[in-house]
Amino acid sequence: MSSHSAPEELLLDYAAGTLARGPELAVSLHVELDPEARRTVERLAAVGGVLMEDEIEAALDEGALERTLARLGDVPVEPRPKSRPVPPRRPGFEWVPPALARHIAPDARWRRVIGGFEEIRVNLPGDTSHRVSVLRLEPGHGLPVHRHVGTEYTVVLQGGYTDETGNYGVGDFAVGPGSEQHEPIADPGEPCIALIVVEKPIVLTGPFGRFFNPLVRRGLI
Amino acid sequence: MLSPDEAADLIEAIAARQDRAAFASLFRHYAPRVKAFLMRGGTDAETAQEVAQEALIMVWRKAASFDRGRASAATWIYTIARNKRIDLARRTSRPAIETEDWLTVFAPEEEDADKSVLAGQTYTRVKELLGGLSADQLVVIQKAFFEDKTHTAIAEELQLPLGTVKSRIRLALGRLREALEKDES
Repeated sequence: MSSHSAPEELLLDYAAGTLARGPELAVSLHVELDPEARRTVERLAAVGGVLMEDEIEAALDEGALERTLARLGDVPVEPRPKSRPVPPRRPGFEWVPPALARHIAPDARWRRVIGGFEEIRVNLPGDTSHRVSVLRLEPGHGLPVHRHVGTEYTVVLQGGYTDETGNYGVGDFAVGPGSEQHEPIADPGEPCIALIVVEKPIVLTGPFGRFFNPLVRRGLI
Repeated sequence: MLSPDEAADLIEAIAARQDRAAFASLFRHYAPRVKAFLMRGGTDAETAQEVAQEALIMVWRKAASFDRGRASAATWIYTIARNKRIDLARRTSRPAIETEDWLTVFAPEEEDADKSVLAGQTYTRVKELLGGLSADQLVVIQKAFFEDKTHTAIAEELQLPLGTVKSRIRLALGRLREALEKDES
């Protein structure tokens, strides 16, 4: 079992389909990488199934079945997928899980950000309330001390990091409330790569804060 | 009524021979339930019906992906309805192709297949266990699933502190998890 799983009520919201795209992407990657979280979501889906089965039936319009049957001629029954298709991964992008692949542009490049880390922005159309990006930190390097106005969701995709709350490896999930300051440091070994979803905006409180915040506000970093 | 085995047989009949009679039986049972599920979330009756039809057409299209060892028919159709509801909520933006991927939750990698083999039986157990929850616990779970509500909105509606709602959800889910883990071990 992963040492850091998403809180169960967040997995419930994921199973119920009520999360915004940013947090949904973070939880979906966690579920993909962490078998224990996947089993929890399977159980929660069974809860949804039971509740739907017990639902009082809503009357359908007359002819609903006939109209639907008439449409089936145009809809093929798709053959059973042999296995989950694994999209080809670019050299250097082996850390991208399938659920993230479509959100990373084919020509995406790491962009160096002031403060010693690199970033690839992830664009999720329809979610303007979250800032989504993948960060890469060299071993031993940290992010500038920061606190968030909103909630921050993190999923580790490669390597690991350590902060005041513990050590996080691949598949681990962290969700932090806005009020906490934290300072993650990448573990030794390969660079730490993580998906970070932050409710906008964030405010930096460390020595770099004054320098960063105007950039953050403009959405530049 | 439709037993879990009967429902699974019907989906398999669609996969094996594009069985329209099987589809009609599934439609009669599930389309009114999917419609009710959507209407609880605030969708108007006309849209809910349209989306319920779309959901059942998806059942037809994806029938071959159904695996009764991994999920019950109700659970599988629930996931389709859930995805359709997300698509509906995001209709204004680009179609959410990723919502279909959620079905692959039930087609995991080989490595943990042995641990998930009980997923198909989970449904029956969950049904029993939900019946054993207190009314207080059941109502927060139902609202979270069906009414598309954030925990904050649930707390306001029930006039409870947010912490109470969260702890009821955790308590209810904790009871389910403990019972199911005991079954699986």
